[in-house]
Amino acid sequence: MDFALSNDHVFLQDSAAKFVNEQVDLSPLLRPGADVSHAGYDRLWSQISELGWSAITVPEAYGGLGMSYIDLIMIIGETGRTLAPSPLFGTLAGAWAMQAAGSDRQKSEWLPKLSDGLKLALAMANENGSYDSTAPDVVAEPAKEGFKLKGAKSFVVDAASADAIVVSAMLDGRKDFFIVNSGAPGLDVEILEWRDITRQVCKITLSDVNAERLEESNDQVWPWVRDRLYLVLAAESAAGIKAVLDDAVDYAKERIAFGRPIGAFQAIKHQLANIAGVSEAAAALVQYAAWALSENDQRASLAAAMAQSYASEQYKQATHRNIQIFGAIGFTWEMKNHLYYKRARCNAELLGSPASQREQVVRILEHEAA
Amino acid sequence: MDFNLPGEDDPRRIKVQQWFENNPNPTYAQLAEQGWTAPNWPAPWGVGADAEMQWIIDQEILRTGLELPYTINAIGLNQCGQSLLTYGTEAQRKKFLPGALACEEIWCMLFSEPSGGSDLGALRTTARREGDHYIVNGHKIWTSAADHAAVGVLVARTDPEKPKHKGLSMFLIDMNSPGITVNPIVDMTGEKNEYNEVFLDNVKVPADALLGREGEGWKIAMEQLQTERVGMTKPGVVWGMGPTARDLMDGLIATGRISDPLIRDEAAKAYVEGEILRLLTYRNMTNRINGKPAGFEGSAGKMLSSPHGQRMADLAKRSQGVAGMIRDPDVLPLPDKKWGMFSDWDYAYWFCPANTLGVGTQEVLLNVVAERVLGLPRDPDPTAKLPFFETTKTTARAAE
Repeated sequence: MDFALSNDHVFLQDSAAKFVNEQVDLSPLLRPGADVSHAGYDRLWSQISELGWSAITVPEAYGGLGMSYIDLIMIIGETGRTLAPSPLFGTLAGAWAMQAAGSDRQKSEWLPKLSDGLKLALAMANENGSYDSTAPDVVAEPAKEGFKLKGAKSFVVDAASADAIVVSAMLDGRKDFFIVNSGAPGLDVEILEWRDITRQVCKITLSDVNAERLEESNDQVWPWVRDRLYLVLAAESAAGIKAVLDDAVDYAKERIAFGRPIGAFQAIKHQLANIAGVSEAAAALVQYAAWALSENDQRASLAAAMAQSYASEQYKQATHRNIQIFGAIGFTWEMKNHLYYKRARCNAELLGSPASQREQVVRILEHEAA
Repeated sequence: MDFNLPGEDDPRRIKVQQWFENNPNPTYAQLAEQGWTAPNWPAPWGVGADAEMQWIIDQEILRTGLELPYTINAIGLNQCGQSLLTYGTEAQRKKFLPGALACEEIWCMLFSEPSGGSDLGALRTTARREGDHYIVNGHKIWTSAADHAAVGVLVARTDPEKPKHKGLSMFLIDMNSPGITVNPIVDMTGEKNEYNEVFLDNVKVPADALLGREGEGWKIAMEQLQTERVGMTKPGVVWGMGPTARDLMDGLIATGRISDPLIRDEAAKAYVEGEILRLLTYRNMTNRINGKPAGFEGSAGKMLSSPHGQRMADLAKRSQGVAGMIRDPDVLPLPDKKWGMFSDWDYAYWFCPANTLGVGTQEVLLNVVAERVLGLPRDPDPTAKLPFFETTKTTARAAE
């Protein structure tokens, strides 16, 4: 039993913190009409990929850093804390899908390019936001060379900036994974008016688009990738809870009303104390899930679903409390409070609701009990 | 980082198991000789066990069918006994610790009073020095175990000229002394009493029963409460004790009640919270292994665990519907083991309003976390700096 970060973890976290503190600037987003492209989405990426963050958990055999999921959350905690706009989420998702579904040849071809700045995306959900593995949202048909894909996917993070998109598509009655080049004829990418403007989220339409099948596709690919994406969102959310807590605490110490800092009133103090407890709790769950995934522990899926359901639900509440404590100024576009509120709200839907992850928790436990 | 707990083949565990094989049905006195009733204490009282070793010893004691020593003598072995290692004299350690460690002398904590529990610093019980002893007068309440305790850990006012927190001192008193009357309190569960009130009427306490120095009472008491709160950061339904959310989930699955959608989602929430408390327990263990002192994580942990226990007990009770309104301990099936005081969901449910009252109300804990962890301004206390004897006047003025 050793529930403590190693010196290496702390060093990685500190260097990531230094980078985001110096480089992330959300102020361009505090003018109405701005989107991720105004806030360093592309500029940050060249540095992030140079640091190797997009390949941090990719095995060294495929040109990655071969580090653990605990290392990963040291970085995601910092990008999440600062809402750093970049195509990291989409690239991680695409790379994991490739890692799980690609053949050795395919992985050797694609994954080493991550260190050169390759940007990826993963298209799973249909236009209703469903991850149903039986829905024929995109259908694959054999072509002369490879396959042709036809259909539509939505809620695809970072699709518009990706060099290639991994798409799940129906083939012979099951969902396999295909890789599509961003310039392929027949591929249409539409950037959605996603409310969280620190992220780019798209809809893609495929009209007989050439695609290569990932040769090791199977029905365990998505659950494997999904658990890792749960971890990423949960780590963002846990760090975000801490960020909005710290901001609200600082504000409550400064803002004077009735002759005292508002943080002197129990109505405010108690809300903040509750968020402090939740913040510790979410961080503990995220670290446990990261450890369980790194160790391939038998409770890894359970841990990931627990972390995502709890952290995203609590992030929603914490960002709402944060706006309440700031008062009306926290309701304006010129303050960054709403960026966190929207990130939290969207994180709690992007991979399904917290209630859907709790349903997974119960099903795993029912299965264990049977 | 490693969440694996010591396994069955751990050499430390095997050694402990061998002793139990050679000593079947041991008494607590025998366990105390091994240093296993307070393993984390230094020798000769304990074995200086780290958190993992303590966990192993606890598990092996439970396997023999014995209740854990620190649930039988919580105040002596968990909250207060260790203060003697820091503040006690050698004579005090020799006099008080062996009986506590053998669970032959149960201790109780004489802190709260009818006039104030949250504002403990305003307590009114006095200890007046007279020659080689003190004369104690006052009225304590909400005292667990006072009806069978041999030793009372008393906080009393030795100097009413000083501000409220500065004039307090701590004593180890003989609960059989003349002048002490213990009355059990019938709480809202209507079951066997947990709490008592204690009247102290001209009780003569020898001067060498003073723990630490005069005026150190508040400081020592606060350390003891932090230790107590760390102990409560566990996933059990009442103050870390009794069944957990894992037991709740098992019971709901076994009875099929988990298929009720109004139960199902809340059960999952409770389960996740329970796992969080388990993780926080591990973090406390790690901090102890690494020699970090118990800080305010105890307050933060209890702040989470108390309402969690209430939600769990409520869910267990709701799963029964109206049938749960009849006295019936058989709410949900529980594994057969020594649960201690909270052995069924029914009692836990009717008891659990106390979760957010005992060892600091929820509101006091939220204040502690806001002030000590987040650094927010302290609540104003117009009586904090005044000589204590003047504060009753201030309170009267404030009321006008």
